[in-house]
Amino acid sequence: MDILSIFIKAFWGGFAALGFAILFNVPQRTLVMIWGMGAIGVFAKFLLLGFEVNIALSSLVGAALIGVLSVYAAHNKQAPPLVFSIPSVIPMVPGAFAYRMMLGCMELTSTAATSPTYLKTLAETTGNGLKAFFILIALSAGVAIPMLVTRKDTFKRIKSSEEMESVES
Amino acid sequence: MDESYTNIKEAEAMLLNVGTLLMSSGASTGRVRTTVNRIADALGYNIELLITNRSLMLKVIDEQTDHFIASLKRTSPHGVNFRVVSGISRMSWKVVEENWNIQQINTEIERLVALPHYPRLIILSSVALAGSSFCALFGGKGAELVVAFVATFVGLFVRQEAIKKRFNPYVSIFFASFAASLLSGLSVKLGIGTSPDVAFATSVLFLVPGVPLINSFTDMIDGNILNGIVRGIHGLIIALAIALGLLCAKFLFNI
Repeated sequence: MDILSIFIKAFWGGFAALGFAILFNVPQRTLVMIWGMGAIGVFAKFLLLGFEVNIALSSLVGAALIGVLSVYAAHNKQAPPLVFSIPSVIPMVPGAFAYRMMLGCMELTSTAATSPTYLKTLAETTGNGLKAFFILIALSAGVAIPMLVTRKDTFKRIKSSEEMESVES
Repeated sequence: MDESYTNIKEAEAMLLNVGTLLMSSGASTGRVRTTVNRIADALGYNIELLITNRSLMLKVIDEQTDHFIASLKRTSPHGVNFRVVSGISRMSWKVVEENWNIQQINTEIERLVALPHYPRLIILSSVALAGSSFCALFGGKGAELVVAFVATFVGLFVRQEAIKKRFNPYVSIFFASFAASLLSGLSVKLGIGTSPDVAFATSVLFLVPGVPLINSFTDMIDGNILNGIVRGIHGLIIALAIALGLLCAKFLFNI
């Protein structure tokens, strides 16, 4: 496994997150944190992919890491968790799979069902589509679940036990 | 009219304003409900709230006099603005902790809404940088990164202009996707870079409906299934608009 190429990908992932953060008009004080979280998510995903873990599962781990970090960042920088987590998971969107699925659909509509390549295209299209779909679910679940689990009085209780000021639920 | 009636009317207008602002700035349904409830509690009102994607219905009940008032407000069609979400969230805690009155809350909301966006050139170039980052993530190198940068820059510019000219939001996304993929498709036709296909596929990724899709999931597992479905379909239409733009460019260049 080439660890350097993973670092480079993480570096780019941070910038992809940053671009979306600026598009969504996040407060300036959160920008550095979002770059870091975008990079961490991409790093975790590609590291796991290097260990030949399933791509949906690696995305889930990357997104869950971002989700947990976003809850802590929210208290640190006084902004709701979604401000951090939504831009940070965007570098992991399954753009390539969705693109290939779309091309596959086009091909399926333009070739005859009896043509010898039809079944192969159908299999590839289904595979790409399912991957895109499950990665998308994994990303939303990874981000949403830490936010929901640590919400309301639960998190306030954790925080007050640490004698920290709670800012956001 | 007695005083409690004017007070409750002011509170109603303010709470609806907070709710619709949060909803149109990209907060999840659960967050809108929590925040509006928190502010109403601090001011001493009981409320009932119905949240849909395009409008909010609120009934405010004065605990002392038992007077109530109910009304409806459409959410304004502004885009995602996390600065407002974050500002209102912080404000809602100050309302609780520092016992703000309605006047103070209204001034703070006015301040938050008037807060500037990033300068247009910075938005355009940082999103374009995000476009070339996507290209790098999917294995692009050198010239392809430049192609993705330029295509994203122009695509976002087209989208902003289309929204300014009050085109339908999905049509604006189609225009943006078409413009971006026309540029990157040209690079495929001219054979710029070693794998120009990557630039072509990633040049439209700046349009991905991240906020609707993630909020859709959050809403659904939070029990706001109807709102979740509405947001999910919204995201799906955006995805279809992106795909349509790509396909048109592909058809034109015959690639």
